[in-house]
Amino acid sequence: MTSRITIDPISRIEGHLRIDAEVDGGRVSKAWASCTMWRGIENILIGRDPREAWLFAQRFCGVCTTVHALASVRAVEDALKLQIPPNAQYIRNIILIQHALHDHIVHFYHLSALDWIDVMQIPKADPVKTASLAQSLSSWTRNSPQEFKSAQDKVKALAASGQLGIFANGYWGHPAMHLPPEVSLLGFTHYLQALEFQRKSNQVVAILGGKTPHVQNMTVGGVGNAIDLDSLGTLTMDRLTMIRSLIDEVIPFVHEAYFPDVCAIAGMYPEWFDIGAGAKNYLAVPDLPTDSSASQFDLPGGVIFSGDLAVVKKFQTAADPDFRAAVTEDATHAWYKGGALHPWKGQTQPEYTDFQENGKYTWVKAPRYSGRPMEVGPLANVLVGYAQGHPLTRKWTDLALGRISAVAKRNVTVDKLQSTMGRYAARAIRSAMLADLAVKHCELLTDNILGGDVATHNPPQFPKGEIEGVGTHEAPRGTLSHWVVVKDGKLTNYQAVVPTTWNASPRDSQGNIGPYEASLMRNPVADPERPLELLRTVHSFDPCMACACHTFDPDGREIATVKIL
Amino acid sequence: MTKVLIAGIGNVLLGDDGVGPFVVKVLESQFEFQADVELADLGTPSLDLPLYLSRAKALILVDSAKFGGEAGAIRLFRNRDILQNAPRTRIDTHSPALVESIALTELMGLLPRELLMIGVQGCGFEPGSTLSRPVRQCIPHIIDAVRRELDRLSVWCEPKLNAAAPRIWWDRVISAA
Repeated sequence: MTSRITIDPISRIEGHLRIDAEVDGGRVSKAWASCTMWRGIENILIGRDPREAWLFAQRFCGVCTTVHALASVRAVEDALKLQIPPNAQYIRNIILIQHALHDHIVHFYHLSALDWIDVMQIPKADPVKTASLAQSLSSWTRNSPQEFKSAQDKVKALAASGQLGIFANGYWGHPAMHLPPEVSLLGFTHYLQALEFQRKSNQVVAILGGKTPHVQNMTVGGVGNAIDLDSLGTLTMDRLTMIRSLIDEVIPFVHEAYFPDVCAIAGMYPEWFDIGAGAKNYLAVPDLPTDSSASQFDLPGGVIFSGDLAVVKKFQTAADPDFRAAVTEDATHAWYKGGALHPWKGQTQPEYTDFQENGKYTWVKAPRYSGRPMEVGPLANVLVGYAQGHPLTRKWTDLALGRISAVAKRNVTVDKLQSTMGRYAARAIRSAMLADLAVKHCELLTDNILGGDVATHNPPQFPKGEIEGVGTHEAPRGTLSHWVVVKDGKLTNYQAVVPTTWNASPRDSQGNIGPYEASLMRNPVADPERPLELLRTVHSFDPCMACACHTFDPDGREIATVKIL
Repeated sequence: MTKVLIAGIGNVLLGDDGVGPFVVKVLESQFEFQADVELADLGTPSLDLPLYLSRAKALILVDSAKFGGEAGAIRLFRNRDILQNAPRTRIDTHSPALVESIALTELMGLLPRELLMIGVQGCGFEPGSTLSRPVRQCIPHIIDAVRRELDRLSVWCEPKLNAAAPRIWWDRVISAA
């Protein structure tokens, strides 16, 4: 018997993502990912001054504001061949690291941990046993029996009140949930603690960016921060010291709570290293440039095809010639006119049909790299780095695999990261790396300023005639690229190829399915009325529809409908 | 600590969804507030919201809402009204995150007891559009609702003398297109 499951919308945040799956014999046999809202926002930018495009770009998405601001100014700088001062690189890097740490912490604890932790098991946990388990995993200072008892009391109070509030929607008691109560309590306690560390990361962004959630310091040619170590109102030594101390407070949470929590939970769900592999082609762009000309990077980029980690094509620059040439967006199965076009030639002309599973069925185009669907995100980031022997990637990946294997009591290899659980592990690995790099870039900035360099901006000059550029950023959800065409100082085309477009892409003209669709194939579904397993796999990508809006709806509605065919 | 946070929520590029940030810009330009009042255009921050919700003693939120009223109608919600809805509202985009964020902040014990959500019924949400006429016309009523709440909280707020017109960059640029 085949049943058809429609989950609409699946993302708890920022998106109208709809998933359709056919389930046959308890496993997914066909899948479709559809974005139900028009992404025509780039059209707003045509005809505008390229210097103000970033202001609009950072409003594409309310969660990833800074990443679009950054990709936008980088695209215009690329078109102008404009280098930026080292201070500007470091300031941008510190902002993007803190944003990414904040975002990864929110993803794990607040957006997806409860796909794995059964909240209703928490009252059964023994806080003292939880504390000794936690203390065996890490030296995190807030793993006392009192901390666990206090978190447990919150759940008990909710359960006693009969109103589960925020937890009323969970798939509690689902057969795919099987953590011991103590591990559930451990993860949940850190879920409550996480907000404090998000706040500290966010404070760093606010100090450097002027405010959050919309930074004010980006500018084509650098950053708007004035540096004068003796003058108030600028970036002073006091502020640099404050940034460093905030970073020093965030790092232990990443290294001693988030990273060990993910390793422990992953080790207890080892079957999820065999599920959800996806497209098995990976794309990551290099990021965290360490010099003016962006020739050296602290995060490596490249491509891997067919899951073969022995062969990796390394990118030398932020927008490698191969990358510039290889990217197309195919609208065959999307509600737009046109076939496969390079982003500089890209169009955003709607052609809505209805949900037609063999025709057009989504507002997301299908980005392809040399015609192939690519997965982007922390997993791509980690695999591309690991495959080329990047030391920091190897250090944290090997540490994670060792811990996971110890808990799972079986050998979990780097190849097994190509899976639903691998995406969670990769996000934690990337966060641990970024925490190390936050310190490095804070020191690079301070040393450069103490050496007498206070430059933060090189003014842009726009030539007559047409120029093209691409700005890339390895954002929390993966490779982001903004493609601009400028003529006589005005934008004539603007295309944002966002991470979720790569991952949520539909079929292309050759019939290749996109990464979400591929990852859902063969997923188990124990109970079609409660498709927890599908949510786990889709949530592992951290979906975010980068354009979404909508309104407060006091009535609400159910998220999953199931039809038995 | 901030005593009152007045926050606009919504996407400024999507027509009536941007009513909250628009109102914040009008308030900033037309009124003076006592020193511990903070105004913020928060965009669509989803589950980043608890960061902001937890830093004041009282909250006044302005967001577009869908309650089946005429465009430009206003409905007021308190903590209880929103928390009651938490069970069934994990739906689309930033709206579930508003409910979820409020519930999460409450769970952490950090939600201010004083919370007013001013919901504004919109009618146009096209990318690249500005506020619809009915929503634009109801802005004075939204501002009255904010001022009444400040009054209730015994928080000082007065119209500025010689106030300049609000500088709403997205409205200027989109309208010119």
